[in-house]
Amino acid sequence: MRITTNKAIDRRTLLRGFGAALALPLLDSMIPARAAASARPIRLGFVYTPNGMIPKGWLPATEGAGFEITPTMRPLAPFREQMLVVSNLSLHTADALGDGGGDHARAGATWLTGVHPKKTEGAEIRAGISADQIAARELGKQTQFASLELGIEEPSFAGGCDSGYSCAYTNTISWRSATTPNPVQISPRVVFERLFGDGESTDPAARLKRMRQDRSILDYVNADVSRLEPQLGARDKRKLDEYLDSIRDIERRIQKAEQQTDANNTPRMERPVGIPPVFDDHVRLMSDLMVAAFQTDMTRVITFMFAREGSNRAFPEIGIPEGCHVVTHHQQDPEKIAKAQRVEEHRAKSFAYLVQRMQDTQDGDGSLLDHTLLLYGAGIRDGNSHDHIDLPLALLGGKSAGIKGGRHLRSKAETPLSNLLITMLDRVGVPVERLGDSTGKVEQLAGV
Amino acid sequence: MLDLGRRSRHAVLWVVAATASAAPIFAQNAALFRQYCAGCHNNKVNTAGLSFDGADPANVGGSAGFWEKVLQKLQTGQMPPAGLPKPTPEIRQATVRYLETELDRAAKLHPNPGSPTIHRLNRAEYSNAVRDLLALDIKPGNSLPPDDSGYGFDNIGDVLSMSPVLVERYLSVARQVARLAVGNPDVKPAIDVFDGLGEVRTGAKGQRAGRNDRLSKDLPFDSVGGLSFQYTFPVDGEYVFTIKTARPNSGFGETAPPVGLIFEQRVPVKAGVRHVGLTFMRSDALAETLPGAGRGGGGGRGGPAPPTAHLDLRLDGARLKLYDMPEGQRGREINELDIAGPYNVTGPGDSASRRRIFACRPSTAADEMPCARKILSTLSRQAFRRPVTAADLTPLMAFYEDGRKDGAFDDGIEAALRAMLVSPEFLFRIERDPASAAPGSVYRVSDLELASRLSFFLWSSAPDEELLTAAEHGKLKDSAVLLQQVSRMLDDPKSKAFVENFTGQWLLLRNIDQIKPDVEQFPAFDESLRRSFRRETESLFSYILRQNRPATELIDANYTFLDARLAEFYGIPGVYGSRFRRVELTDSNRGGLLGQGSILTATSYPTRTSVVLRGKWVLENLLGSPPPPPPPDVPALELHAKGRQLSVREAMEAHRANPVCASCHARMDPIGFALENYDGIGAWRKAENGAPIDASGKLPDGSQFNGPAGLKKLLLTGHRDEFVATFAEKLLTYALGRGVEAPDRPALRQIIRDADREKLTVAALIRAIVQSPPFQMRKTKQS
Repeated sequence: MRITTNKAIDRRTLLRGFGAALALPLLDSMIPARAAASARPIRLGFVYTPNGMIPKGWLPATEGAGFEITPTMRPLAPFREQMLVVSNLSLHTADALGDGGGDHARAGATWLTGVHPKKTEGAEIRAGISADQIAARELGKQTQFASLELGIEEPSFAGGCDSGYSCAYTNTISWRSATTPNPVQISPRVVFERLFGDGESTDPAARLKRMRQDRSILDYVNADVSRLEPQLGARDKRKLDEYLDSIRDIERRIQKAEQQTDANNTPRMERPVGIPPVFDDHVRLMSDLMVAAFQTDMTRVITFMFAREGSNRAFPEIGIPEGCHVVTHHQQDPEKIAKAQRVEEHRAKSFAYLVQRMQDTQDGDGSLLDHTLLLYGAGIRDGNSHDHIDLPLALLGGKSAGIKGGRHLRSKAETPLSNLLITMLDRVGVPVERLGDSTGKVEQLAGV
Repeated sequence: MLDLGRRSRHAVLWVVAATASAAPIFAQNAALFRQYCAGCHNNKVNTAGLSFDGADPANVGGSAGFWEKVLQKLQTGQMPPAGLPKPTPEIRQATVRYLETELDRAAKLHPNPGSPTIHRLNRAEYSNAVRDLLALDIKPGNSLPPDDSGYGFDNIGDVLSMSPVLVERYLSVARQVARLAVGNPDVKPAIDVFDGLGEVRTGAKGQRAGRNDRLSKDLPFDSVGGLSFQYTFPVDGEYVFTIKTARPNSGFGETAPPVGLIFEQRVPVKAGVRHVGLTFMRSDALAETLPGAGRGGGGGRGGPAPPTAHLDLRLDGARLKLYDMPEGQRGREINELDIAGPYNVTGPGDSASRRRIFACRPSTAADEMPCARKILSTLSRQAFRRPVTAADLTPLMAFYEDGRKDGAFDDGIEAALRAMLVSPEFLFRIERDPASAAPGSVYRVSDLELASRLSFFLWSSAPDEELLTAAEHGKLKDSAVLLQQVSRMLDDPKSKAFVENFTGQWLLLRNIDQIKPDVEQFPAFDESLRRSFRRETESLFSYILRQNRPATELIDANYTFLDARLAEFYGIPGVYGSRFRRVELTDSNRGGLLGQGSILTATSYPTRTSVVLRGKWVLENLLGSPPPPPPPDVPALELHAKGRQLSVREAMEAHRANPVCASCHARMDPIGFALENYDGIGAWRKAENGAPIDASGKLPDGSQFNGPAGLKKLLLTGHRDEFVATFAEKLLTYALGRGVEAPDRPALRQIIRDADREKLTVAALIRAIVQSPPFQMRKTKQS
């Protein structure tokens, strides 16, 4: 008899759980033999922050190896040598281009797609496939999950999200296809259950039985959808294709899981319950899960939104009870600028926890951080002016992929962010010709 | 199907006759549009992407989308803009009438009811459909990822996508639902924790009383605070209730209060949904120190010792146990209540779900297959919302047999149920074009499809047996039957879903749950006030709907709905207890949506009011003319001038001196200022920072008003039509689950005209929507 304990969240307990259960023995047995024999895989992480960053708080004045740690990136100072600050990249596709207001929606929708989204409140939403999903299609062949999409903030519940744009554009940065946004998971419990099974099925035999049941249900659904499709028009078919596509994804995952269950290494750890109300607690819990997912090679691609774009979350815990969106529209008021900057530094501090965890996690011949390309930043430069040039961005880790940190790389003006994205894809072994508005690669990632 | 051939011949004659008489008007109109519009809206300048070059007012139907835009701008007086020459009101009126008539006529000739995309059930619809299918009210939709929304609502087929995450969750949730519904005695014990904040496995949510209130009508009159929730006990068995009280927070950076006392009680419970209550006794006179004192309160330290406290644990209203809280442990809160179980399972029990599912019980092995078939055909008919065929049943029976092979009869049913809940026929509302309909033609949807449209509109759920039967027999074509069904459905408690989901999104009430007013600025705000806010708005809407009141009472009702907490907050005497009741208002400021804490809080920042947000909210949600977003890099508000500090009003007025800002702020700000007597959570105030509130305002059209009462009056005199049109459009959007487009505008006007004959009640609007072409018809896909 087993009891699922849905205890109130105690992060320390959870960490102990991870520490104990996800230590090395588990790791080794869960790595597919091929991968273990050679080098560890390179993972991709994209961490998005909303509403831009106060430029003078973020952007280092000095280029190259001698760059200074600026106030907003102070929490990342311990990782200076693994950090490549990349400046002067732009998201021109997030500009209005005749569509009027909606810079928040466009920032979120273009960040990883490089495609100007169709302005619509609902009918025929369209952006482009995102970089993480391009990677997921390839890297996902090796893992149970092609990708994870994590978040901290519930999607907006009511009303429009940004001047004539559907909330789909601000709720996620991950687009499975040009017309299918991926929903973001904000519940640590749900993420945990996806990765390690819900509490009633950690017994391998039971899990296997469950998977077989799921598979036969998916077969049934598959047949049913195929029976329906001929009767429908193109738009309806597209919706059902999303369903079929999802089914295939899960079937593939079940197959992977079946191959791996003999390892019997489902972690014995406490299942998180609830969603921590405080930002930093929530980020840390999700970061723990992110590290666990990478470490056990359940997936190699994760996007993580620190908030939906345009978020007006308040941070009373650091003395900023007004919303963070309000303070970024500072109108040059020094007090608001200072507050916005404090929120941004606070976010960087939460992000630093993830980086620290990755650095502390042994992975093959180095750390998990060495084997992960982690992009951190925003789709807006300055929340006050809503512009999309010279975005605040930094690449962490990636030593094994040849990324040379400890530098501030200032690219040529007008370089699209998508150039960096395809370079990252290149580094994880998923070369693509183009992504959205990309014009080429950012060749200097490996150093001068 | 419509007999379009005969109708259109008839209509052509009619149009020819009408056009002849209209000729002088449109000749005149052509000159008018050249004179007043084409200066900015031409192919060269192309302001707002609208050009009158080549526009032919004699053939309005030929470019209906364009003319609908023109009509709307003329109707609301937004164009021509302030400062430019305008036609006389009479000419404007005549032009509006002409455009309306022509557009409506064209729409009659060539109706275009649109073709909504197949529609995945959203979270609320999924929860309700499961509840109605299996008599299991555990809101399983809460375990699914949140839905995207469009056009302000989350039931828009176009944005309800599928993803691997979602399908995984469907599989997992279906498993839990099927197990709970069937009452599988093999169910593993689990612990669910209710702390009033977090989510739990069953999706139920505990509620925590914020102040000295009786939490629920299910709890004794003399109870105060605590927890109250519905809990589904999956089988007959023993369950352990564990109560953990909170020690006062040490104040040293702890985020959760440490655990104080722990009480345990193990009791046998019969399967089914039961009410669990855990509460303090009011007689303990702890009201002042107990829950209101908050976590840091500590209670009574240094003061005279209050009497012993009692904690009362109840199941379905009957006391399970009364606990003494010993001396020295007073002034505590309940930290959490855990329910663990089942242990020593005695059987699946006789739950409502089992009664619903097991329409028969096989007594011999030979009975099993026919009984399973009977059960599954009944359930799948409900789940798929249509009569089922052998093709539907065969795969479900295969699941049954598979489950039966490894277990008992019930296991077979559970296996089939698991599959049924993931079927596209359950998860999607699918409308099929009849094979006989030509591409691009217009037809009436089948009665079964109409039944689903109706039930998802009014119940956010599947049709019940009565509606399904009526549809199956083709009765819904008879408008008397249809209207009788509408009125029955509105009377059904399930229509609460319509009130909650529609108002929750139209009025942005759902956002209230996420808003965190600053505790320093607004110490009066707490969870119980948050709940009462929502309840007040929903109660008003529900009353207006059910009592056949006009929609305009949403603005100017001279009554509202209060419990003691809210009445105290508003400063209205004579309301006691936690029951919401209708209260006549003497203060003309408070009645209607604009005087409600819910909306006033949802349109404020956490630390202060925002005249801009409030003004924008009124323009967008009540008047249907949202201002465009601010241009980037707006200049700072000058808070100093003439050597002194300016008030916000003065600064905003200076800001409006900039013509770029003025075009929108001149509309938003005066509305927001009229509501400045309400603070950031809706409490009445006469002054802010020592300066008296000036709630007077003047709109660009010159109309002047003062305070909430003045604003409400203005809305319902000068802007009544805009309010009605906006409200009707929001209703229609929600009803159709898609955006209202230009081809729907004539239908929208007809809906309003129809409802206007019945005093424009909300119920009449709903009836008119249900009878309108976009709700009843569909255009086939162009292949």
